[in-house]
Amino acid sequence: MQNLKVEATKYTPKIHLDTSGFITIVGKSYPENTFEFYTPMMQWLEDYFDGHSAKRTIVNMEIIYFNSSSSKLFFDFFDLLEENFDDNIIDINWIYDEENESAEEAGEDFIEDFESLNIKLVTK
Amino acid sequence: MMNISEVQKLVDDDGIIFLSYGGYLSQALISAMTEALEKEAEDHGIHMGTANNMFTIFIELSQNIMNYSKSLDISDPSRVPQGLIVVSKDANYDYHIHSQNIVSLADKEKMEPKLQEIQSLDKDGIKKRYRELRKSGQNTHGKGGGIGFYEIAKKCDSIYYNFKQINEDRFYFHIKTTIKTTIKKTKEK
Repeated sequence: MQNLKVEATKYTPKIHLDTSGFITIVGKSYPENTFEFYTPMMQWLEDYFDGHSAKRTIVNMEIIYFNSSSSKLFFDFFDLLEENFDDNIIDINWIYDEENESAEEAGEDFIEDFESLNIKLVTK
Repeated sequence: MMNISEVQKLVDDDGIIFLSYGGYLSQALISAMTEALEKEAEDHGIHMGTANNMFTIFIELSQNIMNYSKSLDISDPSRVPQGLIVVSKDANYDYHIHSQNIVSLADKEKMEPKLQEIQSLDKDGIKKRYRELRKSGQNTHGKGGGIGFYEIAKKCDSIYYNFKQINEDRFYFHIKTTIKTTIKKTKEK
């Protein structure tokens, strides 16, 4: 299985998915077509958890701001992680600038929606 | 149809027009205008959390118009694939983001119940409903997951909307959001 690297644009985040267990998503997210944009990432994750996952998976997610369809997509992303939570060790860091209450609140919402996931709020 | 007097009318009460665009909205334009807004927020020391709320609302309203335009039948000349988006600020440095486009009666009937519900809820109610809808729409990957207006309402201080009838099946849909800011410092006087 190969790593997946997508560089950031003005309206899409940097996505680095590494088979050694590092999942990094950093930037802004308001693609023209959100679901199309994130399809390769979601497919990679399906493959990864289908027998290719590392002993420990570390997710670092830092989204400065995002549109509502991205919000929906991130919900599905956490949903996918939750489905694989029993068979994997997954640490999730929701990273935000301490002045960015908007991102902090988004992280808190995901924590409440995915109680079984180990989402940690991390200020920069 | 979407002329300067419309713009003027929209912002008469608001003071300075900071950004105004009327016409066909593309992703590249939305991104460029968002950059201009980022510059404005930075120059005026607008608190990051507030500024990001402002960007999200701007993007949500603009992408709404863009996506709606794409769904229109371009062979029908009465469906103008255009929108108007205006960002203004008043003397208190509160920002107002307006958008206006033409919608059909059927679309008005889809949007209005959501907007009415939003108007009836307080902030906590809106946040709760947003999360419910985000969760329930899990397998229905529509354009905006149907939560766009709730996203906007969550992130602004007040929301106003109205539908102005043009003819039997056409309405101007105008939405105005206000974001109150706390300015850390102002560079110029």
